[in-house]
Amino acid sequence: MTFLGLAQILIFFLVLLAITKPLGLYMYRVFQGERTFLDPILRPLERLIYRLGGVREDVEQSWVEYTGSIISFSIFSFLAVYLLQRFQGHLPLNPMHFSTPRAPANATPLTPDLAFNTAVSFLTNTNWQSYSPDTTLGYFVQMVALAVQNFVSAAVGIAVAVALIRGFARRTAKTIGNCWVDVTRYTLYLLLPICVVATLLLVSQGCIQNFRGPVTATTLEGPSQVIEQGPLASQLAIKMLGTNGGGFFNSNSSHPYENPTPLSNMLQMLMLLGIGAGLTYTFGKAVGDTRQGWAVFGAMAVMFFVGVFICYPSEQHGNPMLASMGIERAYTGSQPGGNMEGKETRFGIAQSTLFATVTTDASCGAVNSMHDSYTPLGGLVPMFNIETDEVIFGGVGAGLYSMLIYAVVAVFIGGLMVGRTPEYVGKKIEQKEVKMAIIAVLSTALVILGFTALSSIARFAPNGYWNAPGPAAANLNNNAAHGFSEILYAYSSGAGNNGSAFGGINADTPWYNLTLALDMLVGRFFFIIPALAIAGSLAAKKVTPTTSGTLPTNGSLFVVLLVGTVVIVGALTYFPALSLGPIVEHFQMLNGKLF
Amino acid sequence: MFKELGPGLRLTLVFTILTGLLYPALMTGLSELIFPKQAGGSLVRVNGSLVGSSLIGQSFAKPEYFHPRPSAAGNGYDATASNGTNLGPTSAKLLHGTTKMDDKGREIVDFDGIEDRLVHYSIDNNLPYQSSVPLDRFQDSQGNLDDVKLIDAFNDPKSPLVFTAQRPIPPDAVTASSSGLDPQISPRNAEIQAARVARARGVEPDQVKGLIPQFTERADWGFLGEPRVNVLLLNIELDRKFPVPKK
Repeated sequence: MTFLGLAQILIFFLVLLAITKPLGLYMYRVFQGERTFLDPILRPLERLIYRLGGVREDVEQSWVEYTGSIISFSIFSFLAVYLLQRFQGHLPLNPMHFSTPRAPANATPLTPDLAFNTAVSFLTNTNWQSYSPDTTLGYFVQMVALAVQNFVSAAVGIAVAVALIRGFARRTAKTIGNCWVDVTRYTLYLLLPICVVATLLLVSQGCIQNFRGPVTATTLEGPSQVIEQGPLASQLAIKMLGTNGGGFFNSNSSHPYENPTPLSNMLQMLMLLGIGAGLTYTFGKAVGDTRQGWAVFGAMAVMFFVGVFICYPSEQHGNPMLASMGIERAYTGSQPGGNMEGKETRFGIAQSTLFATVTTDASCGAVNSMHDSYTPLGGLVPMFNIETDEVIFGGVGAGLYSMLIYAVVAVFIGGLMVGRTPEYVGKKIEQKEVKMAIIAVLSTALVILGFTALSSIARFAPNGYWNAPGPAAANLNNNAAHGFSEILYAYSSGAGNNGSAFGGINADTPWYNLTLALDMLVGRFFFIIPALAIAGSLAAKKVTPTTSGTLPTNGSLFVVLLVGTVVIVGALTYFPALSLGPIVEHFQMLNGKLF
Repeated sequence: MFKELGPGLRLTLVFTILTGLLYPALMTGLSELIFPKQAGGSLVRVNGSLVGSSLIGQSFAKPEYFHPRPSAAGNGYDATASNGTNLGPTSAKLLHGTTKMDDKGREIVDFDGIEDRLVHYSIDNNLPYQSSVPLDRFQDSQGNLDDVKLIDAFNDPKSPLVFTAQRPIPPDAVTASSSGLDPQISPRNAEIQAARVARARGVEPDQVKGLIPQFTERADWGFLGEPRVNVLLLNIELDRKFPVPKK
């Protein structure tokens, strides 16, 4: 690790810390329905949307109705994305002629299972990409199908978090807000304005934004080079801000058009974590004690630093087999050193590992380097971040509601230790809340470990529909432990609604497309529905007065308890699987074993 | 539950129009107005003809040009197929490379591997090295290094070829980037290549070296990211200043 590397990480964190309160306060105003400085422009548009949508903004919903709205929205989102993909060949703005007979030779066919996987992937805010966008999707589908989901799936995430906050903040209430109003207000007042500004900043750095078809250049040495174009920056902005992560190009935020400079890289990382961090403040403000929010922020910050400071040195230390061949390991100021396989020169080791940590702290999944080529311990960090349900600032909304679910588990364990009924921010945590929290935590583990195990041992018959014949492991790009890591990472990424990958895996087969789609649906809705059930149950409760026996949840003791709960639950669940993948690979690498 | 279906359908349509059509159209208009060059892909023209983009790397193999990093995008710097190798640290393929049979039954290179690239980088740039077997054993009839023989030797299970660079090699010279389109290399990598480029152009190494700083970007704002040399822009300037002597 170098001084400049550490400085970049620290400054990134300080900027994040600095925007937490103002952004949190602004989101609090949006969520309270208070006036904001954007009202003169956006309020008429907001009213128009309600009129067109048939929504009455003054009517609130019970948690069951709120859940119904989200499911209804998801059904129509699914239909829209699925159908737009299937009819791509007939749609405009498709200069590479994908899904038509004039498609280039390397184009990927948009099969029903691939379109299904992609539709589920984008509506669940995962943005897992079994396809390569460079060779599959035209501008129209990227904009009208995918980018729209990037907005609304993010807004749904925030809406769920906000509903859960209301559950804590309200007393003996029957309702937890109106889903349609929450989704509309967060899209209009939060996501869109930031995206408009961020798009222009990203374009200023070199991101492309045009509707032109690919250009053909004649390179200096003679051969021609076809360079794809497109409306990238507008989609990139919401991809980061909404923690979606689905790239306009296959190599995502490592493509020079999708992340041209270290400055654009820094901006993307801040967009990625900003809302997640801000929501901790919104939470504290809404429950009337901002220290409650800062305690949650503190727990997140601790885990953030631990992750970065494992990932960064692991990658800088690199692969000892390369070092023994005479390749530089240490940074020298004129070259990066370390493991540069799958990393870009402009980002080097520090900005690559920071991005890898940040994108999996949240359920974003954009990448600026190829995680598949990381050293075993460097790659373990993103994998473990995802498997602990991305509670480190986290996906927009998803980070906070997942962390509050862990907080319920934490106070439950704390309550068991001191022998009292647990409480959290003035609400008694009882059987129903704990049950719901456990459903959320265990269901993702079940699909991740279950599908990983199945894909590791499954064998497919010749000429079958599901997969190429032979073992499902034949779809891998690496052998032995690292190959197992590719499978484990894929299902972790799906259930975590992250979307990044150990990209060597070929997941575009019906088996992987459909199991991953199921994985993503479980990861999304088995968190959202329990979170809303807890919101409904808590909203109906009275506030329990704080006594000397109450476990304080706004100080460092709770930070330790919360971090401990997340890490212990994650480690107990995933240690056996991780020891078959990255942990054993680490020792193999140190001993110079190749596969 | 069913009464939620109406707003669900209608709002899906409303948001599709707002965020899927109006927003990108507005952003495209504003971007092309304010930052036309960047929005259009930072394209580079020499004497009016389009030679590429300053952000997108392109293949260079001739000795008179600076070489970019190895690329896993398509067959190398294919800007319609951006990708990395996605090979991990314990991959034999990544280190030793692989060969395959072409349709005529000849053994050809499938993936070159870091060791093979290291051999070429060392030889091309006249760097000191140590090899367990003299490299002339791997030459073909014209005296060029035969990559198939080299890769087979690196993969030999009994007594593999061991090749070690005697002066530290910057890792970006022998590893593939994440996008496969990395437009830049490290300043150290450029300095090492300068002597070869100068020889091929019949000029002094210092003249070529002197051009590098002009195309080196320092860390943004003094601390963000890494110093880096833009290969395409540097090579264009080379052609302008030191044209290759006609043979």
